[in-house]
Amino acid sequence: MTSRGTPSRFLQSVLQNGVGRYVCQMKRISLIFSKNGQSSLGAREFIEEGVVDFAQKNPGTVVYVSPQSCRIPKIVAEYLNGNVKEEAITSKTSQQIAELITKLTNQSGLDIIRIRKPIHTDSPSIQGQWHPFTNRPLSIGPIGPQKQQAN
Amino acid sequence: MVFLTLSCWIRNRGPDRYWKVQEVLSNARHFRGRKNRCYSLAVRAVRRAFVYATKARKIKRRNMRTLWISRIAAASREHGMKYPALMHNLVKSSVEVNRRVLSDLAITEPKSFLSLAKLARAGQQEGFGAALGDGKEPPGVFSRIVTLQ
Repeated sequence: MTSRGTPSRFLQSVLQNGVGRYVCQMKRISLIFSKNGQSSLGAREFIEEGVVDFAQKNPGTVVYVSPQSCRIPKIVAEYLNGNVKEEAITSKTSQQIAELITKLTNQSGLDIIRIRKPIHTDSPSIQGQWHPFTNRPLSIGPIGPQKQQAN
Repeated sequence: MVFLTLSCWIRNRGPDRYWKVQEVLSNARHFRGRKNRCYSLAVRAVRRAFVYATKARKIKRRNMRTLWISRIAAASREHGMKYPALMHNLVKSSVEVNRRVLSDLAITEPKSFLSLAKLARAGQQEGFGAALGDGKEPPGVFSRIVTLQ
């Protein structure tokens, strides 16, 4: 709740993703649902219709579908940097689950915490960062090869 | 004899005191002294911290603006101008650069800031000339007030 008490990070992309080829950062998505259970109805509908298309569209992500006897159906998304995100999909429609899955696919695995600045540059200064001698005139003239004094 | 009133004397307290306390203490872990450990002290400190955090959202904007202004003032004094003169002349020359960007330019792009300062200085001299001079236009400049004839 306080800025010091809660974690924060700077804006970044994972390994400059998108500068070259874009790599989907979600490596695994597991749909845990129950075969008979009204809260998993949307999950079951989504598995009937949309899961195969989703898996074909995202060839870099592994899709696991695991029917278990569970009270709350879940989506577990794992990302390439090791973060795991669990979302409960109790009593959601198939459409809502599809939107949720697209949202998870588009996320990088970075933590969703306060971002300190909305900008990031690797080269903040083009003309050279200011230092105390930038606008000072030189005290000695241009430095050249020393003339050898004849003694 | 059967003692029946003994069981009526047992109280069932709430089951989640620990978690309610941890909820508050987790926000107080980075505090100094006993207020990061002891609940009664922590409750008061956490409430004050949240109040300060709420008030600080407006104050942060104020502080950032004063920081930018003091940085621009320092940079313009390096080039021989003062902050009010710089801003007024930039506005007159219709350079609508805000203080945040100006302070970033002063730090990371000192030559661009120098050129802006020179522009403002030229505007300032022009203003002095118009105010103190004879009312004629400076040599080599035709009037900006273009009248359709």
